[in-house]
Amino acid sequence: MRSFVSDESLNAFIDGEFDVAESESLIARMRDDPDLAQRVGTLRSLQSMVRLAYAEPPVAQGWVERAAAVPPRQFMQRCAFGCLILLAGLSGGWALRSLEPQTAAVVPAVVKSDYQTVSLARVADPNRVMLHIDSAAPAKMKAVLDQAEFFLDQAERQGRSIQLEVIANSHGLSLLRAGVSPYADRIARMGKRHASLQFIACSQSIARFSHEGQVVVLLPTAKAAPTALGQIVTRLQQGWTYVRV
Amino acid sequence: MTMITRFLMGPLRPGIEALRPVLYRIAYAWCHDPALADDLVQETLSKAWVRRAQLREEAALKAWMVAIMNHCWLDHLRSRRDFDDVDDLQDTLESRADSPEACCNREQVVACVRAAVARLPQGQRQVLALVDLEEFSYAEVAGILDIPVGTVMSRLSRARASLKNMLDTATQQAAAQPLLRRVK
Repeated sequence: MRSFVSDESLNAFIDGEFDVAESESLIARMRDDPDLAQRVGTLRSLQSMVRLAYAEPPVAQGWVERAAAVPPRQFMQRCAFGCLILLAGLSGGWALRSLEPQTAAVVPAVVKSDYQTVSLARVADPNRVMLHIDSAAPAKMKAVLDQAEFFLDQAERQGRSIQLEVIANSHGLSLLRAGVSPYADRIARMGKRHASLQFIACSQSIARFSHEGQVVVLLPTAKAAPTALGQIVTRLQQGWTYVRV
Repeated sequence: MTMITRFLMGPLRPGIEALRPVLYRIAYAWCHDPALADDLVQETLSKAWVRRAQLREEAALKAWMVAIMNHCWLDHLRSRRDFDDVDDLQDTLESRADSPEACCNREQVVACVRAAVARLPQGQRQVLALVDLEEFSYAEVAGILDIPVGTVMSRLSRARASLKNMLDTATQQAAAQPLLRRVK
């Protein structure tokens, strides 16, 4: 019987305080120990909930009141001054436009260049990635699973703890439907192997298919979110990187 | 001469000012009061500006400023010992949990989590905010708050454990919503 992992250690793990060797051994233990994986998952979700809760803190009333308290004459002067600065900034920006560095999100690891990648952070986070699929083309389905495995394996080799979500909506839902998905076995295997991998189906798409008279049964590893878009926006706000396959 | 000094000192100012949103988010997570958070940030910015010569490495600017804000916050707490709104927030948490959709849509998750965080002891709340919101390392948090790393770890662990309990209670009180996946 191996020793019990303390909450302190698990916290240190999800906060990236572990070194490569420690992470590797914990990830290996999580694979055999569903309870441990569950505890790590709970801590991670708590962390993302806290992040979400303070993503947009309410603005202090004071700012608005102070701005409103400026007398009209002074206000006009400020406006004029502001316009001047704006103009100077605009022309400066225009003059320097060729010097501006690439501000597009840095693509984590090797993502095929024809995939669209979005991140709100200056540098895309390679440890929190969602892959979005909305097409039932078999090639796309295979591509999304390949990409997911690539990320997971790469993170494992480098000892990083990665969180990955495959989000399916519209026709992409077929990937996660039992009896429809051509990759049901592979998805089950991947889900068992990687505790930090989630498959998420859009409930709105499910409802739409059901309306059309189809019976939608999800694979056992897949979970449903209220809407795929909502999930994507929430994750982006939490600092995740979005990759559309 | 003053022009030259100003020119030399100039580059730090945008750096300090640019941290306003970061500081505000942390301050709000500490005190849950927009006006007070704004005051704390303002005080921190002006203190940082006055003491800018004490900063040795530019890279440590954020941690250094948060440490200043920690002092401002502690001063504030000391000056207002009588101030205690824990009961208020407790009510908020419970009343929200009564409604059937509690914690199922995003605004309510946000409200629930904020209310739960507000109920944590002050020290735990500070550590949680620094680690979760700004991803400071444990060593940095220890430096900012001037406490041992072991204390950072135990406070964080206790904070997350009680947060989980509070949120679980809130969810159990809410009606079951099978289709909506709770991000828990």
